[in-house]
Amino acid sequence: MELEAGIHPKANLVMVRGRIDHGSSMTFSELLHPHLEKCKKGNPPLILDFSGVEYVSSAGLRALMIATRFARNQGGRLGIAGFQPLVREVFGISRFDLVIPCFDTLEAAVGELA
Amino acid sequence: MLRRLWTLAVAPLRAHRGRPAALLALMVACTALALIEHTPLTLLQNAQFDRMQRLSPRDRSDMPALVVAIDEKSLAALGQWPWPRQTLARLIETIGAGEPLAIGLDMIFPEPDRLGAASLKHLYPQLDSIPLPDPDAALAAALAATPSVLGVAATHGLPPGSRPGFKTAPVITRGNPDTAPPASFAGALASLPALEAAARGQALLNAPADPALLDPERGILRRVPLMARVAGLPVASLGPEMLRVALNAPAVQADIHNGRITRVGVDEYTLPTQADGNLILHFGSFQPDRYLSAVDVLEGRIPPENFRQRFVLLGFDGTGLQDRVVTPLGEKVPGVDIHAQVLESLLSGAALTRPLWLRLAEGALLVSLGLGLIAAVPRLRPTLAVKLGLGSAILLLLIGYTAFHLGRLLFDSATLIALLNPIFFILIGNTLVEADQQRRLAEQALQASREAAARVAGELDAARRIQMGLLPDPTQGFAGETRFALAAHLEPAREVGGDYFDCFMLDPDHLCLAIGDVSGKGLPASLFMAMSKSVAGALLRQHPDNLAAAVAELDAALSRDNREMLFVTSFIAVVNVETGIMDYVCAGHDAPWLLRGQSVQRIPVAQTSGPPLCACEGFPYGHAQLTLEPGDRLLLTTDGVTEASNGHTWFGNDRLEKLLQEPLPAGTPAALVEKIRHAVRDFEAGAPPADDLTLLCLQWRGPETALPPPQTNAPA
Repeated sequence: MELEAGIHPKANLVMVRGRIDHGSSMTFSELLHPHLEKCKKGNPPLILDFSGVEYVSSAGLRALMIATRFARNQGGRLGIAGFQPLVREVFGISRFDLVIPCFDTLEAAVGELA
Repeated sequence: MLRRLWTLAVAPLRAHRGRPAALLALMVACTALALIEHTPLTLLQNAQFDRMQRLSPRDRSDMPALVVAIDEKSLAALGQWPWPRQTLARLIETIGAGEPLAIGLDMIFPEPDRLGAASLKHLYPQLDSIPLPDPDAALAAALAATPSVLGVAATHGLPPGSRPGFKTAPVITRGNPDTAPPASFAGALASLPALEAAARGQALLNAPADPALLDPERGILRRVPLMARVAGLPVASLGPEMLRVALNAPAVQADIHNGRITRVGVDEYTLPTQADGNLILHFGSFQPDRYLSAVDVLEGRIPPENFRQRFVLLGFDGTGLQDRVVTPLGEKVPGVDIHAQVLESLLSGAALTRPLWLRLAEGALLVSLGLGLIAAVPRLRPTLAVKLGLGSAILLLLIGYTAFHLGRLLFDSATLIALLNPIFFILIGNTLVEADQQRRLAEQALQASREAAARVAGELDAARRIQMGLLPDPTQGFAGETRFALAAHLEPAREVGGDYFDCFMLDPDHLCLAIGDVSGKGLPASLFMAMSKSVAGALLRQHPDNLAAAVAELDAALSRDNREMLFVTSFIAVVNVETGIMDYVCAGHDAPWLLRGQSVQRIPVAQTSGPPLCACEGFPYGHAQLTLEPGDRLLLTTDGVTEASNGHTWFGNDRLEKLLQEPLPAGTPAALVEKIRHAVRDFEAGAPPADDLTLLCLQWRGPETALPPPQTNAPA
């Protein structure tokens, strides 16, 4: 599991790669934290590019839920864009697409959040 | 109290793996080395030097000096000692006829001959008028006619017969003689003035053995003075003096540097000495072939040519005469042999030395090896440290033997090893003690962690029993129920887990089914699972006829104090077991399966499913409805089934669907649950389960009144 900051004129883009499961969800939270701190009112939205994510377990969903609440409490906007089918299915079944704004493409996410 | 004081005093020395104590030992060792003459270490030192001489004694194949011995054979032939001096004079003249280089007499004649005119006339007054031969005059004439050297015995006081002044050849010193510290005597026992005057030279005979006090077994003669100071004047000993006479030199020379005598000898024949003028003699083994019996010489059995160009010593070799010394080689030799060996050494330049710089080098080696051990031993593994210690000792021994063989230098490796030993053992001892303490601490820690693990395991075991006890037993709870059958299975991935299921009657016709999966697994999830299950059970019973309201309240109740932000996916259904109408709510849970006859379908949840409970507070959960047909089987699962892994891939929904499509002879819920469980565990093939595994299966058989025969999905 690794994170890499991307470049986008209108959003704070972070590419996520690998599996976010029971073992790596803590690392994911720690790596995401500095980006989350910048996700506050008036700043560009934080968009997580999930096209490199292979698997998200319930522990991973919990980490995302916590991130969403953190951002919301700061008045920031957080979204996820680009899904592999399996991950999209997880979000669909668990209805986490209702918890976190999910978009099929980066453009859609930027268009909606920025 | 005393023990505590002792511990307090010793603690700083033992700290840092004994380095302070070792440093202290090194300081003591340096002091001992500097003052070695006053310590029993000299025993060790002498024993070692003797051993080296024994291993390689001086070669005595050259025969520059002969001894004419007054031995048992001569005493038997010529009568008891002292012999008449005419006899001695004849002996000296016989030797002198062979033109030797010098004749040294290892004897002293302080009193007139008892067969001289004075003593005879004193005994026999009737001889008064008869002219008698004078034996002393005869001896004097013989001494004067040959290159003879008489002996003197230097004395510490002035006992009767001794005197401070006697004839002696000068010793020329190069360097300041007043600063030199040779052995100093008050006077000497010397021969009659007439004999002194006749002899070509006169020299010291003293060759004291080492004091037996420090060598309890015996006094060994190791050092011979080449010069000493008698009544303030430097006097040479017999060896150098005979050399002077042979070379017809005016004086014996002594080199003095910085108050230390360095060399003594004549012309180019000099030997290095100790500071006090003593020669450390390199002994050769006793050679009986250079001993000639005095009587054989007197009676002409030895051709005089044998003495040509040789040094001849006249001395005693009779067991009754008691003039014997012990050499470092362990031999008991006549005292005169020492003078012969000094002469041989002077001519060949062979001497053992122990110069000041060598002693300083020993000190430097002691300090550097000691500091090296102090630095290295505590850092090394004990086996390596022992090798280092042994290596240092072997290195010192090698230096010692090499120095002896190549330079005739007496390097004291034994004392250095003896002094380094305590340092080494203090260091290795403390290092081992510390290692032992650490090992014990590690053992204690291991024991403690085992105990802690056992305690945790015990507690987890108790937690597991409690968690399992929270779950209903569907095979026991519905005794006599004919409208439906239930089976369930829950298996946490660890001791405890975050899955739960529930099944209970809300009223005689309404069965409530619930399944839940708390995010994460293990102990944290299990605590939330226990609460979720209890709160759900209570709220569902409180609102038996309004499932959506119950779920909304459940969501609110669970979210209330949820700082850890856990969430729980759930599927909750209320089945009217009379009509088959099923009301259900899905909160982010995987859609359950519906097995109807041959078909395998999913319960449609997409339209009404909401996020997991607690994930999105205040979410308006909708409910849906579905009518079961008699014989329908409803299967609720958690992701422990679909996400079971064999290391390469997941069990997955496709595999589960195929499994459900297979005909099952006994179509009871219990059989189905067992079959799925087996399939999942077989698939994992012994790999540890990825997640908690929960299965709950309901078969609705229809209303009580129209009981259908038990259904199977065996092919028609």
